[in-house]
Amino acid sequence: MKVFFQIFVSIICTLRLGWCQELLIEAESFDNPGGWVVDPQFVQQMGSPYLMAHGMGEPVADASTTVRFPEKGTYHIWVRTMNWAPGDWQAPGRFRLKIDDRSFEKQLGQRSGWGWEYVGAKEIQHNTVVLSLVDLTGFNGRCDAIYFSVQKEEPPASPRKVADWRMQLAQEPNAPEELEAYDLVVTGGGIAGCAASIAAAEQGLKVALIHDRPVLGGNASSEIRVHTLGIYGHFERILKKLDTEHYPNGSAEAKLDQKKRDDNVKSYENIDLYLNWRAYDAVAENDSIRYVDARHTRTGKRKRFSAPYFVDSTGDGWIGFWAGADFSYGRESVNTYDEDWEEWGELWSPEEADNAVMGSSVLWGSKETETEQRFPEVPWALPVAKTYEEVNGEWQWEFSRNDLNQIDDAEAIRDHMLRAIYGSFANAKKDPKNATRKLEWVSYLVGKRESRRLVGDHVFTFNDAKKGTKFPDAVVQETREVDVHYQTVLENEQNPDFISEALFYKTPRYYIPYRSLYSKNIKNLFMAGRNFSTSHVGLGGPRVMRTTGQMGAAVGLAAVLCKKYDVNPRDIYTGYLEEYLDLIESQKYLKIPESKK
Amino acid sequence: MRWSLTAIALFVLQLGMAQLGGTPSFSNGWSKSGQVQQPEFFIFPWEPGTRLQEKKTSLSIEIDSMGMQPIKALVNEGGRTTLYVSDISTPVCADGDCRLMDIRLYWTLLGGYAGFDRYRSAPLTKHDHDEFVYADYLKLHQLLLDDNSILKRRKIDELVKKPAQPEEEGVDAIAGATIKEVKESVVSGALYSCYTAWHLVNGGIKDKIKDLTISTLNNELLEQMLMTDNSDYQMFVLKRLSDRQYEQYYVRIAEIFGGGIPLVRTLIVKNLPETIWNSERLQEPFWGHFERIDINTRSLLLGHLSEAPASVVHGLSNKLGQMTKNQLKIYLEYLSESQFLDTSILDNLKNFSSDQREANAYLVSYFLEDLRL
Ligand SMILES: Cc1cc2nc3c(=O)[nH]c(=O)nc-3n(C[C@H](O)[C@H](O)[C@H](O)COP(=O)(O)OP(=O)(O)OC[C@H]3O[C@@H](n4cnc5c(N)ncnc54)[C@H](O)[C@@H]3O)c2cc1C
Repeated sequence: MKVFFQIFVSIICTLRLGWCQELLIEAESFDNPGGWVVDPQFVQQMGSPYLMAHGMGEPVADASTTVRFPEKGTYHIWVRTMNWAPGDWQAPGRFRLKIDDRSFEKQLGQRSGWGWEYVGAKEIQHNTVVLSLVDLTGFNGRCDAIYFSVQKEEPPASPRKVADWRMQLAQEPNAPEELEAYDLVVTGGGIAGCAASIAAAEQGLKVALIHDRPVLGGNASSEIRVHTLGIYGHFERILKKLDTEHYPNGSAEAKLDQKKRDDNVKSYENIDLYLNWRAYDAVAENDSIRYVDARHTRTGKRKRFSAPYFVDSTGDGWIGFWAGADFSYGRESVNTYDEDWEEWGELWSPEEADNAVMGSSVLWGSKETETEQRFPEVPWALPVAKTYEEVNGEWQWEFSRNDLNQIDDAEAIRDHMLRAIYGSFANAKKDPKNATRKLEWVSYLVGKRESRRLVGDHVFTFNDAKKGTKFPDAVVQETREVDVHYQTVLENEQNPDFISEALFYKTPRYYIPYRSLYSKNIKNLFMAGRNFSTSHVGLGGPRVMRTTGQMGAAVGLAAVLCKKYDVNPRDIYTGYLEEYLDLIESQKYLKIPESKK
Repeated sequence: MRWSLTAIALFVLQLGMAQLGGTPSFSNGWSKSGQVQQPEFFIFPWEPGTRLQEKKTSLSIEIDSMGMQPIKALVNEGGRTTLYVSDISTPVCADGDCRLMDIRLYWTLLGGYAGFDRYRSAPLTKHDHDEFVYADYLKLHQLLLDDNSILKRRKIDELVKKPAQPEEEGVDAIAGATIKEVKESVVSGALYSCYTAWHLVNGGIKDKIKDLTISTLNNELLEQMLMTDNSDYQMFVLKRLSDRQYEQYYVRIAEIFGGGIPLVRTLIVKNLPETIWNSERLQEPFWGHFERIDINTRSLLLGHLSEAPASVVHGLSNKLGQMTKNQLKIYLEYLSESQFLDTSILDNLKNFSSDQREANAYLVSYFLEDLRL
């Protein structure tokens, strides 16, 4: 039992001038999540990791936990939840709360927007009870927390107030008490973050890699299943430890490369891997980051990480954002960097800047079975899917809309894709030829393509790719076309709004300068991955994961020289470039161990 | 080996053609007296009584091993060019087996694909020499409409998967199976014809036609294009109108705003000049389409809330259900700071906040709650 999050608080309730007893159970800390999954993707927006019944239409096994009540008595109970597709139909993700063997009548998961639903009152006669979540639908019911109080007073609903309330209840000090010190702290274990960690660790740095998932690889992981494209540049040896075969996106084969990648990263003694830890803040003083604070996604435990240098490889530029680094989001106007491609005009680069970006995807697939398979009616999905029918989803299943921010509204984007998937599959199931088809896998993680891009000393653009600009500090290279996506609904409103199309521009070999891999205004911050310093169109080519891996390896090595000379990332460009390029060049070859010299 | 066979086949073909006297003439009735019939596969509406005359241009299109073939303008009775056309005869070769494909292709004033006509006397054929049926022509039309087709980026030999173990190399070897994405977009059994036609239509000639149009561009032509429902034309014109012209044509532009594709609408909101936003009368027709337009454009329109007249701000309080969550937030935020928040708007907000069917009702409740503080 995780005592940490079963907070028993006896505080003076000033309004009532009496003692009240409260207990907050965080769902993600349940002893046994059963068939529910822990979803920590939207902590920054809705306040906490939560449990979700991702059963693809089949109710999942109960989640349960033992709760110890210091005081017996009658408690009022609320559950923090949300109906993720509200409308004129039964909520898709309904569940019940059970205490010991008794279920409450009330079906939960029915309110729109995250907030509290009142479950009922219950007399607690034993100090220890078993609390369970009983899924009723298999369609993504969600539970953030369960709150018991002897007073019938609903906790606050708005995300900001709820955060303060939680802190107060947990009596958490502002800063985490545990401090860990490293040479380099890398946040985000996609291919970029893994490569940065390996490159730095191989040269002797002590590295912390903080990653909010149980497995490494980000979009390339077996949880999202995108295969890695691009070339290796100077880093073939390192990147081969991390990349994937060329299976179709969404293929179960991703599992094979998963093991290779995890084993390889874990084999480095001086990489401390913090899996299931999500960074939630970066503290900067005088434009330098001092700490990154992170929280375990299940236990809620917190740690503070200090280091002279930090890598932001979160894809979303979180570390930079918290530290106050300059960043951009959306499409620049065509004249900002002269990125016109007349053939595609506004679809490629707009006359006036806007906040359109390439969208996020949720990959999925189904399989044939021997027997007939039923799939439930999904009226709540049809307003999105309409009459679209499909049995698999590839990269074109992509959603971006200008009123939605790929970070702030990521949960709405994911949920929109879930409706698109379930609806399209339900439509396809109406065709007798799909009678024996069954959903095999639907990711619940949003695979993102583009969000915040941190600004460096150089902003990489379409022209750099088109002309193959040979920068003196070129550390990454690529030959892959620049491809930029747009939603097909922009051209024809009859199209589904969750399908995209790619525009390809063939380029010569192009190079990314080191100056695009460290922050312009935060002195000790590197960035690698899709949140590097680039324009919207510039990102079109090098966002693929061998290229982002090259960026990671390049900054890992830069950090080594930063430490060696006790200087900041920019100083490597101004003062140690030759040594840096030599170090990169030497990566091709395995070092001969001292013993064999 | 295969190339030399192709060359021989082409030579034989050309020899035959010379004897036949070149391109077969149309049986469809596009004669020297002009074109009176709508092309069979066509993207524009065709007004009854339309008569288009062919007129020479400086343009021509290069056909593989057949040389240049002329591009002609089709001119209406008012003397204005409305389309470009070419009667094409081109060899189509697959695995050394060559045939001639005859097709009459039409382009828009901007070089976009406009349609095609088949020759009754020379129907298109597939690899196995079967004639195209109507559905095949229709599929070809769909393919040619797709200017970003997969055929664009691939060489023909990248589009066919060679059989794992070719049974026999030579003239009769079966062409490899076309890969899935290609298969879905081309006429089955006619990849080579489709490929050839797509590249003729969407190749370099596009830009040449567009350049020709631009070289003769005047206000009359801009107006002519603005009045059509073709979104390429609309985009082209909207990018070239002066602020004064935006005012002059605001009725037509607002109409396009209501009925156009999202891409065009977005461009309109972005391009509307200040003079329109400063005038209640001129901007109202745009707000009038609020419910009908796509979400992206609606967001852009809401970006102009602070310039909107009271009537619009009031009207929007009846349309809360059409707004997305973030749009509603923008509107409410605007209200909280504006002088327009009166009892009638408040009543609408209250009604909305208590409507069980409205997914975003809770946001309005929060807002009303905060107002009371
Ligand atoms: C559907 C789809 C298809 C694509 N197709 C291809 C393709 O075929 N080939 C290809 O190479 N690329 C493809 N891409 C692009 C590529 O996957 C992305 O650009 C990728 O994000 C780049 O890798 P990255 O390391 O920068 O980020 P990511 O892979 O996103 O990794 C960042 C990781 O950081 C973690 N993280 C984020 N915030 C925190 C935090 N606060 N604390 C701890 N951890 C955090 C995230 O969980 C994530 O796993 C595709 C993308 C999508 C969505």
